[in-house]
Amino acid sequence: MVGWITTALPNKRGLQLSLKDPATLLGLGLLTTFSYLILAPVISILMDAVNVNFGDSTRIGAEQGSFTLYYLERVFTSPISQRLFWQPLLNTLSVAIGAMCIAMVVGGIMAWLLSRTNLWGRGWFATALIVPFMLPTWTFALAWTTLFKNRSMGGQPGWLESMGYSSPDWLAYGPVPMIFILALHYIPLVILLFGNALRRLDSQLEDSARILGASRSTVAFRIILPLMRPALMSAMVLILADALGEFAVPYILGLPVQYDTLSTSLFRAISSRQTGVASVLAGAIMVLGCITLTIDLYLMREARRFVTLGGKGAMERRRPLGIWRLPATLLAATLFIIGVVLPLLTLFLSTIMRIPGRFHLSNFTLDYWIGTNLNTIALKNGILLTPEFWSATWNSLRIVGTASVCAGLLGLLVGYVVTRTPWRWLASSLRQLTFMPYLVPGIAFAAATLSLFAVQRGPVPALYGTSMILMLALIADQMPFASRAGISAMTQLGKEPEEAAQISGASWLRRMWSIIVPIQKGALVVGIVLPFISGIKGVSLFIILAVPATEVLTTYSLRLVDYNYTQAANAVVLMIAMLAWGGTILTQKLTKTGLAQGLES
Amino acid sequence: MPTITLDAISKQYSRQATAVQNIDLHIKSGDFMCLLGPSGCGKTTMLRMIAGLEHLSQGRLFIGDQLMDSPADGCFVSPEKRGLGLVFQSYALWPHMTVEQNIEFGLRLRKLPERERRTRTGEVMDKLGIASYAKRYPSQLSGGQQQRVALARMMVLKPKVLLLDEPLSNLDASLRLEMRAELKRLHQAFDTTILFVTHDQWEAMTLATTIAVMSEGQLQQVGSPDDIYARPANRFVAEFIGNPPINQIAADSTLGSRLNSQPDTHMLGIRPEDIHLTQAATPYALPAKVQGIMPTGGSWVLDLETEGQCLQLSTQIRPQVQAGEHTFCQIQPEHLHLFNTDGHRLENTRYGQARIIRNNVSTTTYMHAV
Repeated sequence: MVGWITTALPNKRGLQLSLKDPATLLGLGLLTTFSYLILAPVISILMDAVNVNFGDSTRIGAEQGSFTLYYLERVFTSPISQRLFWQPLLNTLSVAIGAMCIAMVVGGIMAWLLSRTNLWGRGWFATALIVPFMLPTWTFALAWTTLFKNRSMGGQPGWLESMGYSSPDWLAYGPVPMIFILALHYIPLVILLFGNALRRLDSQLEDSARILGASRSTVAFRIILPLMRPALMSAMVLILADALGEFAVPYILGLPVQYDTLSTSLFRAISSRQTGVASVLAGAIMVLGCITLTIDLYLMREARRFVTLGGKGAMERRRPLGIWRLPATLLAATLFIIGVVLPLLTLFLSTIMRIPGRFHLSNFTLDYWIGTNLNTIALKNGILLTPEFWSATWNSLRIVGTASVCAGLLGLLVGYVVTRTPWRWLASSLRQLTFMPYLVPGIAFAAATLSLFAVQRGPVPALYGTSMILMLALIADQMPFASRAGISAMTQLGKEPEEAAQISGASWLRRMWSIIVPIQKGALVVGIVLPFISGIKGVSLFIILAVPATEVLTTYSLRLVDYNYTQAANAVVLMIAMLAWGGTILTQKLTKTGLAQGLES
Repeated sequence: MPTITLDAISKQYSRQATAVQNIDLHIKSGDFMCLLGPSGCGKTTMLRMIAGLEHLSQGRLFIGDQLMDSPADGCFVSPEKRGLGLVFQSYALWPHMTVEQNIEFGLRLRKLPERERRTRTGEVMDKLGIASYAKRYPSQLSGGQQQRVALARMMVLKPKVLLLDEPLSNLDASLRLEMRAELKRLHQAFDTTILFVTHDQWEAMTLATTIAVMSEGQLQQVGSPDDIYARPANRFVAEFIGNPPINQIAADSTLGSRLNSQPDTHMLGIRPEDIHLTQAATPYALPAKVQGIMPTGGSWVLDLETEGQCLQLSTQIRPQVQAGEHTFCQIQPEHLHLFNTDGHRLENTRYGQARIIRNNVSTTTYMHAV
């Protein structure tokens, strides 16, 4: 940045030439767009936290819009702060850390088994054990309630209950199932990150230690673990950051026993119209997110020191497990059954059973899928014959699809500008700006977007209730991934193919259209499809921003949960899981890249 | 065929980083000029400035009579309008197009009718021997084939000036020889002005009609390959050109003062092939000890120690000595390159006189060597 100022500012020519440069012009445009989509909402919500909001002026005794510490005091120091913030914070941290620990241990062992040993069916498990990561988290939550729900909630009882065993509250709701479910969700992430690092580890490093006389355990603790430390730490931090913003699981499993986390507390504040409190909570979640991800960035920088080590000797070498081969394989199989088969099977069976947990032929029915004139108050038809289901599906596809296509294209453009513009400050500010939503958990970002677009500002009308606001929020939310994909694709491409076209006489538009976009086709597909999948199964943005007219599959299924249409809700969740899973498989087929690479970039 | 004129051009990336400094260079039409220098000396930046991929910071650039880039006049002609050809070091073939489509792309942009496109593409592919790969994608070609496609892609546009960035550096040794001959042939066949960049002195020596040696953003010497080797303008050029490198002897050392008495001399240089072994104490012979002998195929490189100084000698004749033996080495004063404290070349006043002695010496050397 300093370099640019010293050279380009003193002479006007630098400025003139840069302003003629399409990359720089495009960059300025993108910077404006993202300032509005990303920066403005965040600033707006932070302002809401310290300004008197609409409707609060009599209570606070100050005029609307004036500066106040009321909300901060209320959240952090007032008598109610315990329920608003401190208890939820404690709950959030204990769930996040608990889930992280289990995921690290189980995932770490699995990663080692899959990448370094002669486990039976390694190739198959390597894919199968990743599946839980492709399923929305609350698939597991719903499966759990289907099994363990007890009498403290209304509606259909869980299978255990109807079989006569009453499950205690601690097993049915609260931290225990939440930790268990989130751990299941994050184990694949550990397998991916840790497994990749293990695979990349040069086996010559181990060999040379062995030749120098180190025992197996010395090699493991003195060579492998230190080298793996960055990957391990990074996985830990990513899990923490993600768990902080997790909404659906605590919503389903925590609320019935008043076990609030920060995200559900924020949701309560928003749905009870306490905008100021919600803003403070959202700010607090952002700060936590920022802290964890700053640690991650620092660790990744550390990790880069090790990158040069990857030599040619990174050949695949497996350690025979001996008599442990069968138990290890059984362990992997158990994990697959618990993480994939059991939840999906439970959900599916629950949608074809009239009375839960009674495995009798007469109890099975397809009514909840395709039945008509059912004996219920609302939802008289099976889910596949319900117009709301199809309109929610259409909304999901339309809104998430549009947003993903936009995000993918914008990501490629960001990559283009970042790699091409001579203005370094433009490149780095675009890079950082598009990365920002990553620091802000979805639910907080949704609250921020709401705070900016809920009312008319300047020429922009109030967008709340339109699908536009959802698309804008989704685009912004997906930019970190899309722009990283775009930047890495453009960096790999280098300048030269485009310059060659320029020398041949091609104009800028022509170069973009005939050279850049066709070459980057694969990256573009990944940059569109992966955000699409995460958008389809995402909850936190929609739960805040969607209204009945823009209901998508995820909010529809949560509403069905609220109304205790368990079978229908489970059916919808199964459909979402199918979409997400199918989409992932399709991407892998299309781009011939493993999911692992996709996640890493 | 236009000439290229660089008038006091400079390129600064920031206040600290100056890539190219105040360079004047005139490339004659039909020339096959080489920019030679170590990596990071600014030669690729020069090439990219001529192509228009970088802007000048100062100075003026002409192609023919036309001003292409001049910050002072606010003039800049963008690369697509300069009518040049540029072959990148990495070839930069478009991976999503076949060989034929790669070559055709420029012609399409010029909206040529299909018939003409086909003939011209076919012609250039025949000339470069790549017609049989027309339907293949770049990833299915070897390095040498890709290089030829990259060349063809530019040649088909019949550019007035062809710029090549390290054209042979990504090829293996035998292909490099082949392509070197090919480039020389193409220069004659297509009748273009070629400017190429390399850090490989052999490539420069064998290909170029004129060599411009660069270092740290500055032009060191411009001249024919022979000239540059025989009369290096300064110490940098003397050191950079030649393998094994020139021997350097401080003028105030024992050996230095014995060899030379010319005033202002700071450093003496003697090419390894200008040192000869003799077994008798001829007029210019110095006692020397052979430290080691390295055969390099057709020639031999000897490490000698004389008067406390290590010298390298190279010869095409099998040396009749063993490592560790004492012998004599002969350095003719007229073969010495003299440099002053600034590293600039001084004229060797013994040059004329030495001419005469030379004949005798070569015969004696020959006799002794045999």
